[in-house]
Amino acid sequence: MGFRIGCPNCGERSYTEFWFGGEVPDPRDDDFARAWLRENRAGVQTERWFHAAGCRRWLTLERDTVTNEIQRVLVTRAPAGGT
Amino acid sequence: MTPPLEAAARGGARTFVFEGRPVGALPGDTVASALYRAGVRVFSRSFKYHRPRGLYCLTGDCPNCLVTVNGEPGVRACVTAATGVERVVRENGWPSADRDALAAFWYLRRLLPVGFYYKTLVRPAGAWPRVERVVRRVAGIGSAPLDLPRAHREARHHHADVFVAGGGVSGLVAALASAEAGQTVVLADEGIIGEKLPPGPTRERIQGLAARLRGHEQATVLERAAAIGIYEGPLVAVNGEELLHLVHPARIVVATGAVERHAPFPGGDLPGVWLSRGAARLSGAHGLALGRRVVFAGEAGETLDALRASGLDLAVVAEERAEHERKRCDALVLSLGLVPRDNLLRQGAGPAVAGAGDVVVPGCSLDEAEESGRAAALGQSPTPRRVRPGPLRGGFVCLCEDVTVRDLEDAWAEGFRSTELLKRYTTATMGPCQGALCEKHLGAFVRERGEKGAVAALTTARPPARPIRLEDAAAGHAPVEQRTALHTRHLELGAEMEWAGTWKRPRTYGDLLAEYWAVRRDVGMMDVGTLGKFVVAGRDAAEFLERLYPCRIADLEEGRLRYTLLLNEAGYVIDDGTVCPLGDGRWYLTFTTGGAEQAEAWLRDWAEAWGHEVWIADVTHARGAVNATGPRARELLAQLSEDRLTNDAFPYLRHRRVRIAGVHCDAFRLGFTGELGYELHHPRGDGERLWDALLESGADLGLVPHGLEALRVLRLEKGHILVGQDTDFDSTPAKLGMGWAVRMDKGDFVGRQALERLAGLPPRHRLVGLRFEGLEAPPEGAPLTAGERHAGHLTSSRFSPVLGCGIALGWLRCVDGEPPGRVEAGGRVGLVTKTPFYDPAGARLRA
Repeated sequence: MGFRIGCPNCGERSYTEFWFGGEVPDPRDDDFARAWLRENRAGVQTERWFHAAGCRRWLTLERDTVTNEIQRVLVTRAPAGGT
Repeated sequence: MTPPLEAAARGGARTFVFEGRPVGALPGDTVASALYRAGVRVFSRSFKYHRPRGLYCLTGDCPNCLVTVNGEPGVRACVTAATGVERVVRENGWPSADRDALAAFWYLRRLLPVGFYYKTLVRPAGAWPRVERVVRRVAGIGSAPLDLPRAHREARHHHADVFVAGGGVSGLVAALASAEAGQTVVLADEGIIGEKLPPGPTRERIQGLAARLRGHEQATVLERAAAIGIYEGPLVAVNGEELLHLVHPARIVVATGAVERHAPFPGGDLPGVWLSRGAARLSGAHGLALGRRVVFAGEAGETLDALRASGLDLAVVAEERAEHERKRCDALVLSLGLVPRDNLLRQGAGPAVAGAGDVVVPGCSLDEAEESGRAAALGQSPTPRRVRPGPLRGGFVCLCEDVTVRDLEDAWAEGFRSTELLKRYTTATMGPCQGALCEKHLGAFVRERGEKGAVAALTTARPPARPIRLEDAAAGHAPVEQRTALHTRHLELGAEMEWAGTWKRPRTYGDLLAEYWAVRRDVGMMDVGTLGKFVVAGRDAAEFLERLYPCRIADLEEGRLRYTLLLNEAGYVIDDGTVCPLGDGRWYLTFTTGGAEQAEAWLRDWAEAWGHEVWIADVTHARGAVNATGPRARELLAQLSEDRLTNDAFPYLRHRRVRIAGVHCDAFRLGFTGELGYELHHPRGDGERLWDALLESGADLGLVPHGLEALRVLRLEKGHILVGQDTDFDSTPAKLGMGWAVRMDKGDFVGRQALERLAGLPPRHRLVGLRFEGLEAPPEGAPLTAGERHAGHLTSSRFSPVLGCGIALGWLRCVDGEPPGRVEAGGRVGLVTKTPFYDPAGARLRA
């Protein structure tokens, strides 16, 4: 089932307006891990979404990958390490 | 498109041609009722055994009346008005549906069990390829029309709080309750609301509700529009007559009602066996007789009353006694209760989807339906009523795919012991009706066996819930077209436009060679306003770019610019462009036309990741750009400018602010074409003024504007890559022969660690230049061989006018780190050649 993302700039929007930017990696990861290794967690995961059809800003989400329930949306900078 | 039933009712009598003979249609007739009146009893031949099949449900739920109408196969005759129909042909019978020689398959059924492709037809070894040809010809129903004009269906988006599928009592009440609570509602019904019901209080109630809903400003009512799928989003696809509607609701109410229970028993699929709603409709609305001796089996109720009211003489047998009584008859009407028409619910069950009415509580009263509609408006589903599909007494479980009870038993014996496995192995529920009639029998079959571990759950349904055309699935928008400020100028000059990503760009203005030679000999110009253009500013801008790009930024003085690749963490090239300091801590970046959008996300992501204080502005649409290039480009600009443009004052790879014809331009000296060139970036609003002045002033110099096609040749002669065309997803700079663009002697940058790891490994593939003798080069994509072995493929290829031979870029597999020196493409010999092919020293672009 799809879901909506409460964009702090634009409001509740279908996830189809966003580009998925992947998991926020562990800041201790090196480039290799960042490029190739994914945790792909079944559960709450911190990840990046770019609001391509809206404000064109990155959001950091805490999303349950099993239920698509979104627990937190942040427009702050991603934790050091990037995506 | 066939008009709705009620519109048909207003029309007069008419005829259509049925397999070569005329058939009359009365007002209000469907194709099915008109054919039935004309004496047609066999409407189709079944999918596998070519069993005769006649009208059965008349509600659009079964596959029995699929016919070819006006050349379109698979049309449901029972829900298609006869008005506007010209030709009707039955499907799947040979030589005809009445006398079908292939009906012999039924007598061969022991040779054709479930999965017979892999059982009967595998011996002797090697038989299958021959048999397959026959199987393919016999299999399937109808034939796809290949001569129809290309269709384009438009899609329209609807944004609403609530979407309701189904315009029955519960659906209408749910929609009204939501609308009256201030929410926006879209309701879709596959027919005309209330149309299928006989005149009476239920119909009046429904029409009253529908009238109120239509009058509500919060509501949109779509009729003859079937909801066919619930997708992520949530997104509901609704197949309307003119449009494919894409509804984006917050919540969904499924109120698609119920279908009468189909009972598998021997002979139960024969013409003359009816579901009671269909029988009532045929005898009531259309005044047609079912037969001389009619037996009604099952629950007395509305449909029995309706049949009696139409003057039919019926022998009535209660369901529980039906097995034991023997009666002669020529029509058997079944009224065995309802099963939910729950395809959409089985697709999209989740917190945002609620069911209402018969689809969850089949056979509920009107009051119950209203109540559940109101509850569904609040997002609540009633407790589902358990459906008892009844015992399986042999015969056909799935009419679409010709699956018998025996087939299910065989599948069970072979170990397919869950509904999902039975579905996949027997293909039951996978036909045109998508399990409307047979889905519940699978669960009952598994439950009956009561085996531990056997899963009897409902199978997951997938779109489409109702049959659609391929053109419906392909419906979309006329793509949004991005245009530069010079678009009308291109059209005025007779340009042939082509898509470049989401942009429209001139391919050529008509004379390709003239465009090409103008650049090589005199001067040409091109609209390059589609390039991605960004301004990056802020305290950390220089540090940010240094870390982002593999080229050196720190030594880039104001007035200079640099070509650069964009790498990802894996060291793969994702785009290319230029970087130029504008002064005051501002930087001007360009990207490819197709790469601009992702570039923005890329820049912002890294800026945030590193915590850099930078400001990123996308000026792609605010700035136009024209590239003036060719040996006389300087002369051209000098005619329109007072700025100093000599090679000393404004050398290669420099940036200057100049005024050309009064337009303030950021001019960049670049050499993508291989000649002296100035990329003139300017405010978009000044585009036409600049273009017109250049065109007018250049007339004496032999100026010819060129399009993409000339550019493709010009850049290929220089061996310049097009990211996306010549690169693959895993192209490192080394593989592209562009190691020079990466400075490993600077600090950390994105992709550096990956490139360090790869440095010790010889590349397995390399992009190389190739030269082919003759007047053309092999086509792009052509496979390359070395000796007997596949060696790679071409990514770009053109005839080079200046070199007089074919030239190409292509990927070659390396042996011991080196690609072969000589390859073949379609019998033509290509020699690996160092790039650039043209002016290797680069003297011309520095001139």
